[in-house]
Amino acid sequence: MIKMAIYGKGGIGKSTTAANLSMAFAKMGLKVMQIGCDPKADSTINLHGGRPLTTVLDLVRQKGKAVTLEEMVTVGDGGVFCVEAGGPTPGMGCAGRGIIAALEMLEEKNAFAVYQPDVVLYDVLGDVVCGGFAMPIREGYAEKVFLITSGENMAIHAAANIAMAVENFADRGYASLGGIILNHRNVPRELEKVQELAEDVHTGIVGELPLSSLVQQADEMQQTVLQAFPDSEMAKEYEKLARQVLKACGKENL
Amino acid sequence: MQLRMKQSNRILSTYTADVSGVCSALYEMGGMTVMHDASGCNSTYNTHDEPRWYNMPSMVYISGLTETEAILGDDEKLARDLVDGINGLHPRFCAVAGTPIPTMMGIDLSGIARLVERRTGTPCFGFKTTGMQSYVVGASMALEAVARRFCPETPKKVRSGKPSVNLLGVTPLDFSVTGTVEALRSLLTENGYPVCSCWAMGSSWEELMQAGNADVNLVVSSAGLTLAKFFREKYGTPYVVGIPMGEALTGEYLAEIDNAAETGENRYPVKGGKIPTNGKAALIIGEAVWAASMRRAYELSTGKPAKILCPLELDGETLAPEDLRITGEREIGAEMAKSDLVIADPIYEYVLPKGISFVRFPHEGYSGRIWRKEIPVFVGKDWDTWWETTNF
Repeated sequence: MIKMAIYGKGGIGKSTTAANLSMAFAKMGLKVMQIGCDPKADSTINLHGGRPLTTVLDLVRQKGKAVTLEEMVTVGDGGVFCVEAGGPTPGMGCAGRGIIAALEMLEEKNAFAVYQPDVVLYDVLGDVVCGGFAMPIREGYAEKVFLITSGENMAIHAAANIAMAVENFADRGYASLGGIILNHRNVPRELEKVQELAEDVHTGIVGELPLSSLVQQADEMQQTVLQAFPDSEMAKEYEKLARQVLKACGKENL
Repeated sequence: MQLRMKQSNRILSTYTADVSGVCSALYEMGGMTVMHDASGCNSTYNTHDEPRWYNMPSMVYISGLTETEAILGDDEKLARDLVDGINGLHPRFCAVAGTPIPTMMGIDLSGIARLVERRTGTPCFGFKTTGMQSYVVGASMALEAVARRFCPETPKKVRSGKPSVNLLGVTPLDFSVTGTVEALRSLLTENGYPVCSCWAMGSSWEELMQAGNADVNLVVSSAGLTLAKFFREKYGTPYVVGIPMGEALTGEYLAEIDNAAETGENRYPVKGGKIPTNGKAALIIGEAVWAASMRRAYELSTGKPAKILCPLELDGETLAPEDLRITGEREIGAEMAKSDLVIADPIYEYVLPKGISFVRFPHEGYSGRIWRKEIPVFVGKDWDTWWETTNF
């Protein structure tokens, strides 16, 4: 089993990339579990035709410890096991603590032992804003962290911050950086700027995604690109990225 | 208006918290144990949960967590303090245990422990205690963690004579300091069963590290079961669950130690006694292994069945499906009302419905030191002597 986390600035395309990667892994014959770690709970929505999932924290709110694994995990397109951690009522509670509680609940119910995924993909909210959002990179959770960024300065800045957090946690035995995924927005000097970032945080660019209108069109259809346009060039780009990500994890033969 | 709240307590107390369970289990091992909490919270442990505090030194501390550190997530302050403590005190190991505030902050104490270990070279543990579970959970994780980290491979000896044993799950929270642990050791040795080690009261570190040499492990509280399972995995040692209360049960108990040693199977001499099916019967409230042993001793003494109500998280593999796992005062009161006799800590007497008999059995992990002088020695024939005083 390989466990990875995807971090990046809000709106940079984490969930879209995560869902397409999950589909690409599934097409390779792998069992995939995608865990959305964002109170908005929309990481896996395009794997469900736009239907929102009942989140782990909603279930815990309703049923307490009696919640079952079958209620928390649903099967989306491509047979991807989908989980949404969820969060508190907006403006209240503690979202970071919520992520911890949701991941601990999955652990308590032996989610990985029961579903035995080959790939676990944590899709994590914008930035490492508190301990809760670092949870997916703690020991026993993700082993590799992938940063998604474009060449936009704010996105690069956010990616650098996350890389710094990962480096700070090295002594604790946390996940290590797997590399950067460059999601092109076609801004000036884009590749050059992201290469600089990669050098600064001592990692490499594992793959690039070109800017494509098919991504927005698939989103309108509430599907992944691999589901909506399986034969498109963009679908092939995601499939290529999936192979590159596995290679960066040292699991190209998974 | 009368308030009728479920799962809430008006009179009943809470059991000692998991963080105190960690401290209690590690108290005599020569490590440095730090509760990560605000200064002052240590007094709950040293005043109410730890009877050894005033006559046996141990390195148990509080981190003195402040509001600013909590808000800013200043883990480095804790890490620095732990490193300083280790460098000054040279403990055998360092353990840091969580409480409600770190739990809500999401502090990763295992990660901090690894960081401190890298900086000092001293083995460190980070325990995911929350302050919201009971002592059995904390003691259980601490005992198992120490054994997993330190107990060496031991070549299996060929047994001659009676099987040797370890006592697992022994803390003052279940056994107090009123002589029961010593009486249990004497009972075993006088019957020819050498005691290799006691986890964790009254044994040196060297004795604890020889636990792999024992032929059978005795799980005398639910806090010792995880450790017994670990020893089973590591050394193949079978275990026996229960406390030998009363002469009659002691006979069965010792025979089951022999059986376990012969067959390599785990044995449960206090399990499977009579369970009341209808009509009124006795209700025994408390820690699972103690309660199951009490039920068997009660049955052997009176011929009557009893039901167990265990408000703690771990069942020690001794409870029957008919036994109860509830915590609310109202719910407990309702179960008491269905009984003709309740055997429990004296705090429960305050919510006892009228007309029901009560046998007081103070439990250090529940009422602390308040009624410690009343805690009898409760193994072997000393249990019989005590039981006679109850006139049942």
